[in-house]
Parts: sequence; structure tokens; C-alpha cells
Amino acid sequence: MILSSLVFLPLLFALLVMVWPKSNTVRHLALGLSVIEFLLSLAIFRQYDANSAGLQMVEQFMWIERFGIQYFMGIDGISLWLVLLTTFLTPIIILASWSSITERVKGFHAAMFVLQTAMIGTFLALDAVFFYVFWELSLVPMYFMVGIWGGARRIYATVKFFIYTFAGSVMMLVAIIYMMYLTQEATGQMSASLLDFYKLQIPFVGGTFFSLQTLLFFAFALAFAIKVPVFPLHTWLPDAHVEAPTPGSVILAGVMLKMGTYGFMRWVIPLFPEASEYWAWLFMLIGAVGIIYGALVAMVQPDVKKLVAYSSVSHMGYILLGLFAFNAYGMAGGLYQMLNHGISTGALFILIGMIYERTHSREISKYGGLASALPLFTIFFFIITLSSIAVPMTNGFVGEFLILLGTFQAQPEFAYFAVTGVVLGAVYMLWMFKRVFFGEKGELVADEHHPLHDLNAREIAVLVPLVVMVFWMGLFPNHFLDFSKASIDHLVNNRTNYNLTIVEPGTAASTQAAQGGN
Amino acid sequence: MNAATIGLSDILLVSPMLALFLVSLIPITAKVLRNNREQHPLVTLSQALIGIVIAIGLLIVFGGGGKTAFNNGLIFDGVTQWMGIIALASAGAGMVMMYENPSTTGKQFSELIFLAMSSAIGMLILVSAVDLLMVFIGLELMSLALYLMIGMSHEEKLSKEASLKYFILGSFASAIFLYGVAFIFGSTGGTNILNFMETAAELVQSSRMFLFGMTFVILGFCFKVSIFPFHAWTPDVYQGSPTPHTAFMATAVKTVSFAAFLRVIATKSLVGSDHLFDILQWLAVLTMIVGNAAAIMQNNLKRMIAYSSVAHSGYLLIGVITAGVSDSGAFGASGVIFYLLGYGLMTIGALAIASMLEKSENHIINIDDLSGFAKQRPMLALCLTVFLLSLAGIPPTLGFFGKFYLFNAAIGEGLLWLAVWGMLSSVIAVYYYLRPIVVMYMKEGNAEIAGHSLNATTVTAVVMALAIVLMGFVSGPIFAAVEASLL
Repeated sequence: MILSSLVFLPLLFALLVMVWPKSNTVRHLALGLSVIEFLLSLAIFRQYDANSAGLQMVEQFMWIERFGIQYFMGIDGISLWLVLLTTFLTPIIILASWSSITERVKGFHAAMFVLQTAMIGTFLALDAVFFYVFWELSLVPMYFMVGIWGGARRIYATVKFFIYTFAGSVMMLVAIIYMMYLTQEATGQMSASLLDFYKLQIPFVGGTFFSLQTLLFFAFALAFAIKVPVFPLHTWLPDAHVEAPTPGSVILAGVMLKMGTYGFMRWVIPLFPEASEYWAWLFMLIGAVGIIYGALVAMVQPDVKKLVAYSSVSHMGYILLGLFAFNAYGMAGGLYQMLNHGISTGALFILIGMIYERTHSREISKYGGLASALPLFTIFFFIITLSSIAVPMTNGFVGEFLILLGTFQAQPEFAYFAVTGVVLGAVYMLWMFKRVFFGEKGELVADEHHPLHDLNAREIAVLVPLVVMVFWMGLFPNHFLDFSKASIDHLVNNRTNYNLTIVEPGTAASTQAAQGGN
Repeated sequence: MNAATIGLSDILLVSPMLALFLVSLIPITAKVLRNNREQHPLVTLSQALIGIVIAIGLLIVFGGGGKTAFNNGLIFDGVTQWMGIIALASAGAGMVMMYENPSTTGKQFSELIFLAMSSAIGMLILVSAVDLLMVFIGLELMSLALYLMIGMSHEEKLSKEASLKYFILGSFASAIFLYGVAFIFGSTGGTNILNFMETAAELVQSSRMFLFGMTFVILGFCFKVSIFPFHAWTPDVYQGSPTPHTAFMATAVKTVSFAAFLRVIATKSLVGSDHLFDILQWLAVLTMIVGNAAAIMQNNLKRMIAYSSVAHSGYLLIGVITAGVSDSGAFGASGVIFYLLGYGLMTIGALAIASMLEKSENHIINIDDLSGFAKQRPMLALCLTVFLLSLAGIPPTLGFFGKFYLFNAAIGEGLLWLAVWGMLSSVIAVYYYLRPIVVMYMKEGNAEIAGHSLNATTVTAVVMALAIVLMGFVSGPIFAAVEASLL
């Protein structure tokens, strides 16, 4: 029941927030509830057995019997960290939005909790239809978050976001239904369970687009690629990011984009191994192009938030590259980079939100000399910048290093591209940092009528956990990688014939011992 | 058919219709006895609703099991029960709205309710008819009452125009239908669907006359359920009618028309004629595209819903085709029924909220009128959001599961491309379903809510919204129950 509580408690919280009588304490309530949710996820983390590659804490029962659709969720080394990332970021986001969200506070927090349910559900669901329900549900609260609390062009941005991502995923639904019929053909019993999908042998013919596996592969891949988003399907992202309020940007960059890369890891690569391998060049190519393109476009942005948004396109390109390298380094690096990006880019958006609250502008040219006015803010911003450009000892380094290692092993030519991206990343971030924090004081900073205040205690409390994570993940990557190792290795080694076993609680260690004995 | 064959079982089977008929007489009789003075509208409404509840109860108790009545003229099986219940419930909800909407309350409420009840009797005949002439009788009884209803309660020009348009085109459709029936009679010597159930697939190939008749019968239905290119009347009539009538037509009328359509298609005539099969597939695709594309351009809320209902007819036609070509037929048919169940709930709900925005008889509601609605009436705005998201097919609402089951049946029968088109055109649909939500939540303004409170209509909307969300979670058992009743 623990996973179900993790998924559906936020939904209950959303209701609680909505009916809460006092609007001035609703923030405290929401913060408390989100911390409860985080503690619950820590409890799951403690129970999790890192030695097993199987699915743990599984909950499974028939939901729609006619079609073999199950209520089916479980956790493994791949979803574990993404769930923790979600629950970790949520209290931080709520605290960060303390003073920036002043209207319809109840609605905002309710949307936040519904979104949490949808995201965690997406990461834990192991039945295709069940997964699809969460996947689509996540659009609705995000749509409201951008549309109600966003900037001037919020409506354009939010409708574009919704339609883009919805359009991407409709073909996935058709593919899911089709695969349900394939399970019926294979076993006589219709099923939408991921484990049954893994067992399918879907015919694949190389060289043609119209082979069954290729078609299904692209139906799924399109949905995930738009969510990631890969070049050239990324155009909704800068719009959504720029118009979204700070918490919206953080959750979008921090978690929602990972739903796409997670989709590749959980669904596309193991379900369609031959097609994935055959078309890997395409995805590595668009990954590499995305890295360079995102970086180049980021470089010329006058708006600092848009700069970070384009840097996301660049960073997500790395993840794609790592995943389609199909080796342990690349996969582990891809997963690590998902977490890194969630923390670093999330933190960047929070920092930008803080300075925006003070000056109501995000134009780089209007800043300058911020370092002398806001020393504390500068320090935090600097640390996160270093993490974002992957300086050693920060989390970003570990991820990019592993990805590049994996890519060199698999497809060196793409790695050359990617390395260029590392340099470009340093260029645009450091250049931006220089223009914002050093040099002549810009018009916003020099404005004597409105002196800028440095970070207050709440804001420091928001940033400290993120900075701690930056160094923790940078200095002790094995604390994190070890928990995913078994699952990643299992995926890499059995990619063409992938399967997952369900591990009964308490028996995980003994199974592993037995396997070791063989 | 002679009198001797009519027994008690026939009477019991048609008891829902008898009950409706008897109850429908009460309000107008009371009016006559009271020297042409209206009784309190609430009393009239309660009588009508009691009648509907009784009819639904009788339908559940005595119907089902594939029993036939009146010399195989009527059949009482799963389709009859489910479609009948959906239609009657929608009709009831429509009457609740009639009670409160400014354009339909007034001096002639008893007559209005009498007509609505008569129309409902026609609907019950239509869902159970297996003789093409019975179908015709049901169709006409339902439609004649509607022509009057649309025209009578409104002083406005638009409504007269709608009434006339609906009357002329409706009669045209009936004539085409009847023409088709004549051809079928000419080629088979009978009009009972059950008689040519087994042989229709061959007849379509061997007899040009039968094919001709079948085509015309199908055309008649295409008119009734607004399949492209026979949909042109829909937006005008939906917009011109008082909103409760629009709700009545969009849900109850559509449901029963599809029920009769299903019965004709279930003869497997599509299996025999490839051309008919191909043409219907294309009509489904075009209907989805045209309905959705036209809905994008609408500013008028009711017109938008009208075009969206055209698009939904396209989705439903996929199910009808599936039922026609699949071996059991039950799968596709239950997809249609389930879809109609969801569609009924969300359309009634959306129109109930539109009805609340109507200040006067001549009030035209544009989408922009909703601006600020979320601040003034957060609860109702949330309900409307649920309806729109459900119409768009976003999980976990009932609308999503409706599409899921419908497309599932289509893919199961190898009609993959229809499902693909359906999904693609639902992407277009998302665009216009989001617009009212944008206006409600994201634009400043003062939504003009009618001065008098519409309590019953509000309750209807809230109940529908709750049902849409909750039934989404238990859609599996509902679908299984529908399918089991058809096997």
C-alpha cells in the first residue's frame, strides 16, 4: 500500500488545501503536507533493496478486467530516484513560491499536489493504460499553473504546451491499444501490463519505416521526444518556461521533462530493442544537434530565463545521447543527468525567480554589478552555475562525464559533438554570469529608490538543500549510483530480451544471493 | 399482425411507454380541469420526473433478454435497456433545465412537458424497434414533438427559424428513410430487420434494389445523427433552440438515433458491400475532421457544442461500423453505448451551465461571456472544466474511457486507420475545448450570471461532473455489464 499512498496522498492533500478555511495559513499547510510526502518517500527509500534489479513493493490488481488492464505499480532503481526527486523538489518549490504566488493561493497548491500525483504515478505505473492516465493527467494542472499564474503571454504558451504534448501522446495510446491486441494474439489473454509487453516478440524489418516494431517505436518515441523535448520538437518549452511562474518552471524543468527521458528508459528502449538500435543514430543525432543548438541559442538570449530554458534543451540532449549509447556508463549517466538537471536547473529557475521578484525584470542587459549589491545571492548563483556547466566536484560533472564515456564507447563521432557542447555550455553560462554580476552597475541594480535586499532566511532555506545536493551528488556519486546499478545493469545486459521480475518484500536479498550462487 | 397475438407479455414489455404516456397526460389534464390555468411548474416537473423514473424502472424490470413484442416489431435487449435508460435520463435532465431556463418556463409549461414526454415515448419505440416501419413511427413521434417544442416556447425569430429548418430537413430525412424502407420491402417482401438479419450480407451483393434501400435507410440515419455532409442543420438548430431543447436533442435524440442505426447496421450489410463499408468509413473520418475544424471557428458557445457534437457523431460512427463488421458485434455496440453514456453526461452538463448563463430568451452566449466565471462561481467553473476535458478525452474522465473503448473495438477489428484519425482529430478538438477554460480562468471580466438562481440546474451540473470523474474509475465493470447484456 505504500506506493499507492505515495501516489494518491497528494490528491487528498489537494482536496484538503481546497477546503482549508483560512487562506493565510494555507501555505504552511501545503508545506507541511509536502514534507510529509517527502518523508514517506524516504521511508520507501529505506525499504528499497538496492541489490535487486526486480520490481519492489509491487501493488497489482485487476482494474478493467475486460481488457486486462491492471492497477499495477512498482519501483525499481530507475524510478526510485525520479520519485525522490519529485518529492524532494515539491516542498522547496512551495517554500520558494511563498511570496511570489499571491493570488488564488489555494488553487495553486491544489494544482501542485495534483501534479505531484500525476508525476509520481507516471514514474511508478507499470500498466500501459494506467501509465497513460497519469501521463495525460499531468497536463491539466500544469496547464492551469502556467495559464493562471504565468506571465503576459501565458495563454499562448499554455495552450501551445497542452496541444503539443497532447498531440504527441495520442499516437502512443493507439500503439498501446495495438500492443494489447498483440498480447492477446501471443497469450490468448489481453493485457496492458508492461511485463507482458516486454515478453512480446514484435517483428522488425530494418531499412523500412513500415515495419511493425518501427511504427510502434515511433508512436511511443514521439510522445516522449516531445516531452523531453528533443530538437526540433522543443519549441513549446521556451514559451512555457518563460511564461510559467517560478514554481511552474521548476517543476517543468525539474521533473516533467524527465517523464520523457524516463519513458525512453522504461518503455521505448526495452520494448522495441531492435528498432531502438536501428534508429539509435537518429536519436543520438538529434541529441547531439540539440546540445549544440540549445547552447548556441542560449548564448544570444537577452532574457536570463529564456537562456536557462534553452540550456535545458542542450542538457536534455546529453541525456538522450547517454540513453541511446546502450551501455552501462551512458545509461547510468543519463539517469544521473536527469537528477542533476532537476536540481541545477530547478535551482537556477528559483534563483531567477528571486531576483525577478526584486526587480521585475529578467533582461540581462539591465543588470550588472549584482555581486556587490547581493553577495549572498551571488554565491548561491555561482555554485549553481558551476554545477550547471559541470565543473568537477559538482553533480553535473559526474553525469556528463559518464554520458561522454558511454558515448565514446558506443558512437565516438557523436561524442565529439557533445564535448563541444560542454565548452559552449561554459561559455553561455559564464558569460551570462559575468554580465549579470560583474562590471558596471546596471540600471536595475543602481536604482537608489529601490535598494535590493539580499536573501532572507526563507530564501536561504530554499537554496541550501539544493546546494547540499549539488555537492553531495558531485562528491559521492556512488551513494546514488549504487541504488540504480542493479537495474541499469539489468537493462543494459538484457536489453534485447528484457524482462522484469517482481520481488516479494523481504525476499530481495535472498534472490540476489541465489542468483549469485548460480 | 392480428389482435389475438397480443398478450400480456407484450403489454408488460411496452409498459414503460404506457407509463410515460399516462403520466404525460396528467399535466395537460390538470390544466384543462383548472380552467386553463397552469399548475405550479414544480408540480408539473415532479410528475414528469416520476414518470421517467417509473419508465426506467419498468424498462429494467421487464425489458432485456432479447424478448420481442408485437409480432417481432419491438425487441427488448441490452441495447434497448441501456440506450433507453441513457435517453430517458438525458430527457429528464433536459426537463429539469426546461423548468428553470427563462426561454422555456412560462405559460405553456404543461404543454411543453407533455410534448417532451411524447418525444420520449417515440424514443423508447425507436430504441426497441426492429421493424423498419416501427423505426419510422418512433422517429416521427420523437421528431414531431420536437419540432413543436422548438417553435412553441420562444418568441424569438431564431427559434422559429430553427424549428422550421429542423422540420423541413427532418421531414426530408424521414422521406429518404421511408423511400429506403420501400425498396427493402420491395426486395425482401418484408420490413422486419430480424427477417433479413441472416441474409443481408448476401442480399446486398445479389440485389441491387436491396442495396439501394439499405443505402437510403443509412442516409436517413446520417441526417438524424448529423454525419457529414448531412450535418448542416445541426449548428443552426442547436443554436436557435432554447438551451434545454438543445441538450435534449444533443443527447437523448442522438442516443436513440444511434440505437436504431446500430440495429440496421447489425444486419451485416456492411460485410456484404465493400462500397458501403468504404463510404461509411470515409464519412466517419470526414465528419470528425469537419466537425472539429468548424468548431474551432465558433464564438458562440452553443454553436461550438453543436459542431463538437457533429465530431462526436463521427467517433460514434466508428463504433457503429465496428459493430457492423465484427463477428459478435457486441464489442463495437457496447463501445457505442458506453461512449453515448459519457457523451450524454458531459453534454447535458455543459449545456446546463450554458443554460445558467442565459439571462433572457434572446440571450446569445459567446465564449467570451465566460470571462471571470471561475472567480464568481468556482464550483460551476470546475464542473464546466470537467465536462470540457471529458469531451476532449483527457484521462481520467469518462470521456477518455469512452474513446478508449471505442477505438479499442475499432483496432480489434483491424480498423486501425479509423482509430488513428479519431485520435488525430481529437487533437484539433482539444484546441477549442480549452478555449472556454482559458476564458473562465485566465481572463478578467464579469460573467453575466442570470439573476435568479437556477438551483436544480446547478445540482444537475454538479451531479454530472461527479459522475464523470467517479465513473471513470469504475468504467471497467460498467463496460463489462454493457457488453454482457448484449451477448
